[in-house]
Amino acid sequence: MPTPRLHWMRGRRDEEGGEARTLEWIGCDDAGAAIARVVRLQGPLHTNWRLYQAVALDTEARVVQLRPPPPAGADWLAYIGGQVVGRAALPLQAVRTAEAALGAG
Amino acid sequence: MSETPLEKIRNIGITAHIDAGKTTTTERILYYTGVSHKIGEVHDGNTTTDYMEQERERGITITSAAVTCEWKDHRINIIDTPGHIDFNIEVNRSLRVLDGAVFIIEGVAGVQPQSETNWRLADRYNVPRLIFINKLDRTGADFYRAFDTLKEKLDIVALPLQLPIGSEDQFVGIIDLVEMKAIIWEGGELGAKYHDAPIPADLAEKAKEYRQTLLDTALSVDDAAMEEYFESGDVAVETLKRCIKAGTISGAFRPVLCGTAFKNKGVQPLLDAVLDYLPSPVDIPGIKIAAEEGEDEHTERRRIKADPNAPFAGLAFKIINDKYGTLTFVRVYAGTLRSGDTVLNTTRDHKERIGRMFQMHADKRAEIKEVSAGDIAAFVGLKDTMTGDTLAAASDPVVLERMAFPVPVIDISVEPRTKESVEKMTIGLQKLAGEDPSLRLRTDQESGQTILSGMGELHLEIIIDRLKREYGVEANIGAPQVAYRETITRPHTELYTHKKQSGGSGQYAEVKVVFEPMERNGGIVFENKVVGGAVPREYIPAVEKGIRVQAETGVLAGFPTVDFKYTLVDGKYHDVDSSALAFEIAAKACFREGMKKASPIILEPIMDVEITTPQDHVGDVVGDINRRRGMIQNQESSSSTIIVRAHVPLKEMFGYISDLRSMTKGRASFTMQFHHYDPVPRNIADEIMAKSA
Ligand SMILES: Nc1nc2c(ncn2[C@@H]2O[C@H](COP(=O)(O)OP(=O)(O)OP(=O)(O)O)[C@@H](O)[C@H]2O)c(=O)[nH]1
Ligand SMILES: [Mg+2]
Repeated sequence: MPTPRLHWMRGRRDEEGGEARTLEWIGCDDAGAAIARVVRLQGPLHTNWRLYQAVALDTEARVVQLRPPPPAGADWLAYIGGQVVGRAALPLQAVRTAEAALGAG
Repeated sequence: MSETPLEKIRNIGITAHIDAGKTTTTERILYYTGVSHKIGEVHDGNTTTDYMEQERERGITITSAAVTCEWKDHRINIIDTPGHIDFNIEVNRSLRVLDGAVFIIEGVAGVQPQSETNWRLADRYNVPRLIFINKLDRTGADFYRAFDTLKEKLDIVALPLQLPIGSEDQFVGIIDLVEMKAIIWEGGELGAKYHDAPIPADLAEKAKEYRQTLLDTALSVDDAAMEEYFESGDVAVETLKRCIKAGTISGAFRPVLCGTAFKNKGVQPLLDAVLDYLPSPVDIPGIKIAAEEGEDEHTERRRIKADPNAPFAGLAFKIINDKYGTLTFVRVYAGTLRSGDTVLNTTRDHKERIGRMFQMHADKRAEIKEVSAGDIAAFVGLKDTMTGDTLAAASDPVVLERMAFPVPVIDISVEPRTKESVEKMTIGLQKLAGEDPSLRLRTDQESGQTILSGMGELHLEIIIDRLKREYGVEANIGAPQVAYRETITRPHTELYTHKKQSGGSGQYAEVKVVFEPMERNGGIVFENKVVGGAVPREYIPAVEKGIRVQAETGVLAGFPTVDFKYTLVDGKYHDVDSSALAFEIAAKACFREGMKKASPIILEPIMDVEITTPQDHVGDVVGDINRRRGMIQNQESSSSTIIVRAHVPLKEMFGYISDLRSMTKGRASFTMQFHHYDPVPRNIADEIMAKSA
């Protein structure tokens, strides 16, 4: 297992329903700059009387609609610099995807 | 009994398809934990949990048996359940009161129909589960293929915690993916000896891959564990175990272990996993109280937490009559009870005094003086407590969530061989029906015959056999019949006057009843809307009872009438000539007359049938199912066999096994279970009515 090259920290959390779950992990470089994010997809989601099947949130927590929606089970998005570089069912897999993309790029 | 702290108690069930190896596994557990000093075998008829004569003769489990053992400073209460669908009530009631389950599947066949049924049952009661892939020693066993059937058939996230080393007769041990080591059994000493070893080189890659999946899946339930992983690229064994336990309890994933119970490999790590991952009574959210009438089943309601100092609350889940009297098994959810205490049966609203209390070990018992939250005990001396009833302290008279019972679909008539044993037979059957909620007893109002309804032919056969052995009554039985039901399809209001007033003390009662259809499974509901005392209060129960009794014998063909509501709206009485009896008679007649005018129909049980057949016979099998009024639901192929799933009326399934065998030269097999009731077609209804006339 390759040692992660980024430092991953908890990002946004969802405190609803009494149970907190992390919706986002942020990968920083050694200088502490955010390089990559893995984000849990949400949806279906109602905002402003619109229904989104699958959404992610951008860095300002605005809704980003995804088209087409990801296959069932691929609940985590790996982002680098606002670009989606992969999707995975589990957060650790998405982290690996992001790091692999960094390594390749 | 309550020396063990709650965190160190596990109440678990073992459940699976028929013959998957539940009893064999239980027997190993008892041996390794030192409860028994030799291993019994199902085929030798000497296991601990299959203690009934019928079980030992047939090599199958019929009744669930509870045993207790100690493992690494913990107490494990285990219930071994039967796999045969006819005894599904045993699985049902066990899962209802257990905190966790070991779910066994076979290494050769993988998930089988009954595994699926039991899995869904465990889903219904939210029981955390470990999966054990057994029989890896058998020719044709394949861990990975069996594992795939978990995803395919059960649609779950199955998560291996172990991988097998070697297969079939070369199966020697397992790789433990949590601690990344091999465990090898040394053979001899019935599997009691095993040692750790490095992971074999040829499996190193595979182990690494599966370990990564384990980390990916398990850590995702716990943010702190994720952070630990980001720090060091791995996590401590304790952290991983904590995550696996959390995910097991929440159902986020289902851990998978493996071995061969018969060849004594894999059982000790299974016990370790029970301690590590299945919840203790305090790890679960507590049991829900029952929904109020009309309240949605799924709403969040108050839960009773496992606390020995709280007011007492327990659920009676099993009743056994033996030569010492009636034993009532109770799962205690809260509080502490001592023999001599009095509690409330909150389901039936009466008091019960607790006599002696026992901890049960299969058919043996040890007397105890008190029992508290988290435990299971058997009580002697309860007067009127049935399976599914709640016992609670008067200071907090809760009613716990009820159990759902399977529907008996086969009827047989029973008649004692000698006139003298009529009474003995009735008492025996009533006791047996008291033990078994999937067995129903009724008397046909017209013929006077005793009719027994059960889950299937095997179920009824065992009951008749027990009647003979345990109650000394030899009975003749009629041919198995479909348990039809009757119901109505249109509302109707009937006025009936019962009058016998010619000299002497007369009888007079008049009732006006509205009969209305209810949805399927709606049961029978009574409402009283009489105003101004048109029917005096004291006679209302007689009206209710009269119709309930008469409903046992429907107007079309004498089958029980179900799914209707009856409302008493009006009536008349006579100061001198009215009596409870007169009102009961009037109510019965009112039912007989009224039902005929409410467009009655006959319902038949439709079975969910699953046939496994070789490819080359699919055409014959499907054609035959169509001739039996069956509706094919789907067809699936797995390697060289096809699985056909269909809904078929039970009536058409009598004798199916021999037809199927001759059609496929003995190569196909099938299982079936009740699915729903449907109206019978016209021509068949006529046939049924002609027969009953
Ligand atoms: N080869 C092999 N046979 C096994 C294994 N486990 C059980 N058996 C055999 O399979 C048969 C059924 O085992 P049981 O333990 O009775 O199965 P069960 O699940 O309790 O069955 P029911 O209670 O009737 O549903 C017996 O003949 C066992 O000896 C195993 O690991 N390997
Ligand atoms: Mg068994």
